[in-house]
Amino acid sequence: MENAQLIAVLASIILQASPLIIAVCGEILTERSGVVNLSLDGTMLMAAMTAFVVGLKTDNIWLGFAAAAVIGAIFAAIVALGSIRLGQSQVAVGFVLALLGDDLSAFLGQNYTRMRGVSVPHYGIPVLKDIPVVGPILFDHDVVVYFAMALIVVTWWWLNRTQPGLKLRGSGERPTAAFARGVDVNRLRYLYTILGGALVGIAGAAFSLDVKIGWSDGHIRGTGWIALAIVIFGGWSPIRGAFGALLFGATKALATVLQRAFPEVSVVAFNSIPWILMILVLLAVGSDYTERFINAMPRGWQRPLRRVLRVSPPMALGTPFHEG
Amino acid sequence: MLDFFVKYPRLGRLFDMLLPLLATLAALGVGAIMLQLLGANPVTAYGALLQGAFGSQNALADTIVRATPLLLVALGICIAFRAGVINIGGEGQLVAGAILGTLVGLMFPEAPGIVIVPLALVAGFIGGAIWGGIPGLLKAYYNVNEILSTIMLNIIAVQGMNYLLRQPMIDPAQAQLASRIPQTARLAQAFDLPRWIPTRLHLGALIAVILAFVVYIFLWRTTIGYRIRAVGLNPDASRYAGINVKRNIVLALLLSGAFAGLAGAVQVYGVHHRMFTDGSLAGFTGSAGFNGIVVALFGKLNPIGAIPAAFIFGALIVGANSLQRAMQVPAALITALNGLVVVFVVSSDYFSRRLARNRRTGAETPAAPPKSTLPPALSIEGEASQ
Repeated sequence: MENAQLIAVLASIILQASPLIIAVCGEILTERSGVVNLSLDGTMLMAAMTAFVVGLKTDNIWLGFAAAAVIGAIFAAIVALGSIRLGQSQVAVGFVLALLGDDLSAFLGQNYTRMRGVSVPHYGIPVLKDIPVVGPILFDHDVVVYFAMALIVVTWWWLNRTQPGLKLRGSGERPTAAFARGVDVNRLRYLYTILGGALVGIAGAAFSLDVKIGWSDGHIRGTGWIALAIVIFGGWSPIRGAFGALLFGATKALATVLQRAFPEVSVVAFNSIPWILMILVLLAVGSDYTERFINAMPRGWQRPLRRVLRVSPPMALGTPFHEG
Repeated sequence: MLDFFVKYPRLGRLFDMLLPLLATLAALGVGAIMLQLLGANPVTAYGALLQGAFGSQNALADTIVRATPLLLVALGICIAFRAGVINIGGEGQLVAGAILGTLVGLMFPEAPGIVIVPLALVAGFIGGAIWGGIPGLLKAYYNVNEILSTIMLNIIAVQGMNYLLRQPMIDPAQAQLASRIPQTARLAQAFDLPRWIPTRLHLGALIAVILAFVVYIFLWRTTIGYRIRAVGLNPDASRYAGINVKRNIVLALLLSGAFAGLAGAVQVYGVHHRMFTDGSLAGFTGSAGFNGIVVALFGKLNPIGAIPAAFIFGALIVGANSLQRAMQVPAALITALNGLVVVFVVSSDYFSRRLARNRRTGAETPAAPPKSTLPPALSIEGEASQ
């Protein structure tokens, strides 16, 4: 019985983390190309609302997902246009869009709050789902979870093992060098900002059509900011980012468990745990003491340790690139 | 069209100055289309909006009262953004200041107002400074991204506020009742900020305007202010010039939070006279911590420019409320309208910079996009360029 409970908790962590993982992968693609899309929170709210309404009207979840992707792409395109073409601060444009998306979703979606809509059907993968323990945790979900899992691998592979991925990283790390090598830096940045935005849109839809079904004002407010935090926490790597999303979900689940175990302690203490933990981790990852600790280790350990404990952003992140 | 203004630079400069206003009008134009689609007559709607924001002594006073916390938060944002750090924690800092300020009033209910009120405002300033200083320290000494830490501190502030107002700080009268509304007792009447009877206009507005000039002088006429701006413009050059970059980053975020905290204390003593919560930060702050950022950007990160910017936003909020009552249009339209104004104003900045560049060179369309008026270090990772 105890085991069955634990398996159920783990499976729910995987499910809850999936939309977050999709958004994190999208934002990683954007940021590795050198653009910061700070509008995630607004984008995801707009996308969640759009997906829900489109799904409701057409009775087709796939159209809902498609509409959400388009919304995400449009928001991202505004960020790209504002920063690349108009030379605005990416942070300012993104932040304003985050607020606008929040307001606009509340406005446009107000007639559809708390309605019953469509949702993604459950689909356990045959054979795999019958593996003891691992099966129910990983393979007894729906297509959103599988998509998130695949996306982690594909994003990692694309970034680290393909030629377009190399160009993408080049335009985020050393745009001038990439440009000299014949990479159209700004075109790539447009491309990956919009692609990343579409993924963020899909993540929003994954909430309203699957993980947190339905729509109400401020439905998933704050999730976009969490995704941005996890991108940094994950050191701009999809695998670490996914790990971060799962860890975040796990601490939240743990907080619920602890709360039940210690009812006399205020709820507040447990609700704050994931956030305080995240700050502490960021603190450890960035501090000079960590560097000293790594340097004190034997030589052979230093490289792997540094890869795990340190993160560094793409060097040209947030800085505009001008040709010539 | 740009050619025309290049030929007549005086007109061009006038156009420059009027640009935020033109952008606002353009946004209202788009809003008119939305209103029309909703089946409301835009002319009567905007009439109701203007009437609500400026139509009477009371309306004007309400507009200013609404603008006050926006202006205070925006002043802090000006300092932080000028130092190249992005403070998104205005909401949490505002609440931290409000809580500490309220505590002062609750602890000494018998003391004279002339002592307590300034003390409470200072307490608010300090509360915000603590909540803003934490991400400052984390950023300067541990490379923790300030966008993240301020967001997380916002969330921790909600939890703390809800706990304090439900348990230790709850109104003793409410604690007896079953409903247990999470709010403190009303502060002593003697502590109310002086008001301009019969309106709701309180002294806080004057304090905010005076502080706007103080911050302007601080940033552009003092050595500390110069250092803060230098760090924002080029951290590396500042370091070589002997400026302690880390200390200035901490100072900028600390001051930024302090102004938000002051806004919180002013809201308590000038408007609400108690602290309350509906479970979210926005319930108490009215999103002033977020909208203050927008106001600061609207005012081009200039404390003086933030004064009219805050006023316009206050007017939009107050006018929109009465528009909603008069025309039965949804409240969300109004927030969407606010957002539109911001987007238009921010993008209008592009034209004014392009214009300035054309004037200088006399050349047609520049090849590279002109530089932003924001400090170049205002990228997500100030340290990234090392």
